[in-house]
Amino acid sequence: MTAIPLVFALLAAGIWFAAIAERFASARRFPSAIVLAPLWQAARLLSQQRVRTEYPDALNWALAPLVYGALAVAGLSVVPFAPGLVVAPLDTGIVLWGACEALTIVAVFLHGWSANSMLPLIGGYRFVAIGLPAMLLSMFVLIAAALPAQSLAVGAIVESQRSMWNMVRQPLGLPLFLLLGLAISLRGPMDYGDASDLSGGTAAEVSGPHRLAWGIARLAMLTAFAAMGASVFLGGYLGPWLPGPAWLALKTAALLLVLTWLGCNLARMPAPRMMAALWLVLLPLSFLDLVIAGVEALL
Amino acid sequence: MAVRALAWLAERSATPVYIACGQDGDAMAARLAQVPAISLQHSIRHAAILLVAGPYRDADRPALRRLHDQLPHPRATVWWGAVPLAEAQDAVTIAQGDHPVARLRRLDRNLLRGERASEPDWLPDEPPNEWRGKGDHGQGGEGMMGGVPYGRPMAMMGEEMRDALMLDAMTITIGPFLRTLPPGLSLELTLQGDVIQQARVVTPAYPASGGASEPLLRAARMLESLGLPDLARRAQISAMRDSAEGLLAAARRCGALLALPAELADVRARLEAALRGGTAPDPGEEWLVDRLAGMEWQSALLRIASFDPATLAQIAPAAEPDEDEEDGDEKERAA
Amino acid sequence: MTAADLAFYVLSAIAVVSGWRVFRTDSMVRASFLLMLSFIAVAAIMLMLAAPYIGMATVFMMAVEMMVMALFMVMFMMNPAGLNPMNMVHQNRLSIGAGATAFVGLTVAVLFTDLPHEKVARQAPVIRDLGHELLGPSMLIFESAGVTLLAAMVASVVLSARSGRFGPSDEGSRPPGLEPGGEPAGRIPESEQEDE
Repeated sequence: MTAIPLVFALLAAGIWFAAIAERFASARRFPSAIVLAPLWQAARLLSQQRVRTEYPDALNWALAPLVYGALAVAGLSVVPFAPGLVVAPLDTGIVLWGACEALTIVAVFLHGWSANSMLPLIGGYRFVAIGLPAMLLSMFVLIAAALPAQSLAVGAIVESQRSMWNMVRQPLGLPLFLLLGLAISLRGPMDYGDASDLSGGTAAEVSGPHRLAWGIARLAMLTAFAAMGASVFLGGYLGPWLPGPAWLALKTAALLLVLTWLGCNLARMPAPRMMAALWLVLLPLSFLDLVIAGVEALL
Repeated sequence: MAVRALAWLAERSATPVYIACGQDGDAMAARLAQVPAISLQHSIRHAAILLVAGPYRDADRPALRRLHDQLPHPRATVWWGAVPLAEAQDAVTIAQGDHPVARLRRLDRNLLRGERASEPDWLPDEPPNEWRGKGDHGQGGEGMMGGVPYGRPMAMMGEEMRDALMLDAMTITIGPFLRTLPPGLSLELTLQGDVIQQARVVTPAYPASGGASEPLLRAARMLESLGLPDLARRAQISAMRDSAEGLLAAARRCGALLALPAELADVRARLEAALRGGTAPDPGEEWLVDRLAGMEWQSALLRIASFDPATLAQIAPAAEPDEDEEDGDEKERAA
Repeated sequence: MTAADLAFYVLSAIAVVSGWRVFRTDSMVRASFLLMLSFIAVAAIMLMLAAPYIGMATVFMMAVEMMVMALFMVMFMMNPAGLNPMNMVHQNRLSIGAGATAFVGLTVAVLFTDLPHEKVARQAPVIRDLGHELLGPSMLIFESAGVTLLAAMVASVVLSARSGRFGPSDEGSRPPGLEPGGEPAGRIPESEQEDE
C-alpha cells in the first residue's frame, strides 16, 4: 500500500502550495519569506481562543471541518498515481467522487447552520442553492469523460487518454469542471458560502483552531479536486521521462495555479444571476458536452 | 516552552485587525490597506485587535461594546483618533494623524507572548433582556415561535412578499461597524432566506467629510462585496494617492461590471463613476428601505454601498426612536 | 466472526440507531441528516453485497436529497442550529399502524423469498450486468420511471418559477376561474382575503 502515503504527501504538498499561491496571487508579499507564511498563520490561529456562540449545534459545528477534510481524502483515494498505484481501485471511482461532492455540500451547509448565527446560516443556505446545480453539471461532464474509457473507474479514464487528453477531446469539459472546483473549495466567483459580503459566511463565527481546521479542509478539497481534474482531463500520471506520481503532482500544481488565479481575479455575481446562469446556460452546455462525447464514441 | 515557540511563529504573521470605522474611519482604514503587516478582517471573530478609527457617536456605544466582546482571546483594543470608552482599562490611544502600524505590531507581539493581559469582557455575561411573560414560553411571540426571548430574535411566520407563501422570517440588526456597509449606517433587516423582506434605518451613516478620495473608498467597498478583495485594496491605495488610473480597466478585466445584472443597472453606473473617481447623480427620491425590499443579500449590500454620502443622508435618514427596538442583543451582528 | 461480519453488524447498528434518532431529535435539519446517515450505512452494506454502483449512487442521491430538504427547511423556517425545538412525530396512531404493517410485510417478504445463496464471483462485472439489465429486460420500467420523474421536475419548475403559469408571480398572478368569470381557482392569499 504505497499509495496511502502518496495520498497524504500530495495533500500536504497541495495545501502548502495552494496557500502560498493564494498569498502570491493577492500580492501580499509579507512576510518576505512567503514560503513559511502558512506556517506562521497556522501558529497564530493555534494560539487564539476558539469562541463559542450561544447555543450552537456543537457536535455538527465541530464535525463539519473534519467531514470536509475527510471527504477530500476519500475523493483522492480513487485517483491513481501510476498504473495500478491507487488506494481504492474501484470500478465506480467517479461515482464515489460524485458522492464526495454531494457530501461536501452537506458539510458546508452544516458548518453554516450549526453556528446559530444569521450570516453563517445565509452563507450555508446560499451555498446549497448554488452548489447543487454546480455539482449536477460536474456529474454530466464526468460521465462524458467516462464514455471514451467505457468505464467509471478513474484509472481506465486516465488510460483512455494515452492518444489524446480529454481536455482536447472534450473542450467543454474542463472549464465546466473547474467551476465546481471553485464552488466546493469556496473560492472567488463561486464562493457563495464563505463570502466577504457575509463577513466570512459559514466561517464568520469561527476562530482559532476551528478556523485553522476549516481553512486546511478547504485547501485539501481544492487539492483533491485538482488531482481529480488532472486525472480526468489532463491525462493524470501519463507523460514521458518522469515517473507517474511526478506527472500527477505537476498537473495538479498547474490546476491549483489556474484555480487560484481564477479565484482571485473574477467577480462574484449575485446568487440569483449565478443560479440562472447555471441552470439556463451552463447545464445545457454540459449536455452538449455529453452529446459531443457520445457522437465521438459512436464514430 | 511550546507556548513561547508558538508565539515566536505566530508573531511573524500579519496582525489581523478588525477596524470599526467612526467618522472618516474609512479613509483611515485605507491608510492601512497598503501595509502588508496588517490584514484587515471582515469578521470580528477573525481578528486579534479591534481598531476603533475616528470619533464615534454616543448611539454607537452599545454596539461597540458588543463588538468588543466577540473578539477571541488574546485580544486588545486600540483607539485611533477616538476617545476610549470608560470600560477600557489601560487603553492604547493613537492620535488621528499618527500612523498606528508600529503600535499595532508591538501590541500584537505583546499579546501573543503573554506580556500584555487579554482584555476582559465589557458587558456582563448575562442575557441582555428580561424574560417577558408573553407567548407560551414567555418569549413574546406565539407558541414556540417569534418574539425576542432574552433579547434574541426568533423566527416568526410571515407572508413572503414575492409569492404570498407563509414562511418564517427573522429580524436582525447589522451595522454600524459592518465593513461592507457605509460607516455608521445600521439597518434592521427582516430576512427570509437571503431575501430582505423589510428594512429599517437604525442609525444613519456618518455625514460626508468631503474628501476627494470618497468615490474610490466607496468603490473599494463595492468591490469587496463582489468578491474582489485584491482589487478593493488597490482602490483603497489609489484613494490614498488620489489617482484612479487603470482602476476601471482592471475592474472590467475582473468582470466587476459584467457581474451586475440588469436589475442593478443603477449600481453598475454608480460603480463605474466611482471607479473613475466621480459620482453618478441619483435623484434620491425613493427611500433606501423601499429600494431594499425584495432584494437578495449581496445585491442589497452592493446597492447600499453604491450611494454617495450626500444621497445616502437624504434617502436613509435616522428613523424615529422606537423604545422597543433599542434592546441590546447578544447575537446582533456588528461584525 | 470475520471482519466482514463485524462491519455488517456495526453498519446495521448505525443504520437502525440513526433511523430511530430521526424521530427523537427536535430539529428538522438534524432529522434529515440523521436519515442521511442511516441511508449511508445501508449504502455501505450494499457495497459489501457486491453492489458498488447502487451503494455509491445511494450515498450520492441521499446526500443531494437530504440537502434539498434542508434547503427547504431553511427557506420555511429561519431556524439556525435548531433553536426553535420541533416535535418530529405526529399522527401517532396512523403512523404506528403504517409502520407496523410495513415492518410485518417486509419481514414476511424477507423470510419467504427464495434468496440466492451462491456468492458473487470476485471478478464478476457487476456494473456491466446492471447496465445491461437496466437497458435490456428492465428498460420499460426504468425508462417510464425516468420520464415520469422528469415530467414531475419540469412541472414543479414551471409552477415555482417567477414567470409563473398565470403571469409573473411577483405581480399578483392569478389562476383563471373554474367557470367563466368565476372565482380564481386555488388558495387565495390571506392578505387579499382581509381586503375583501
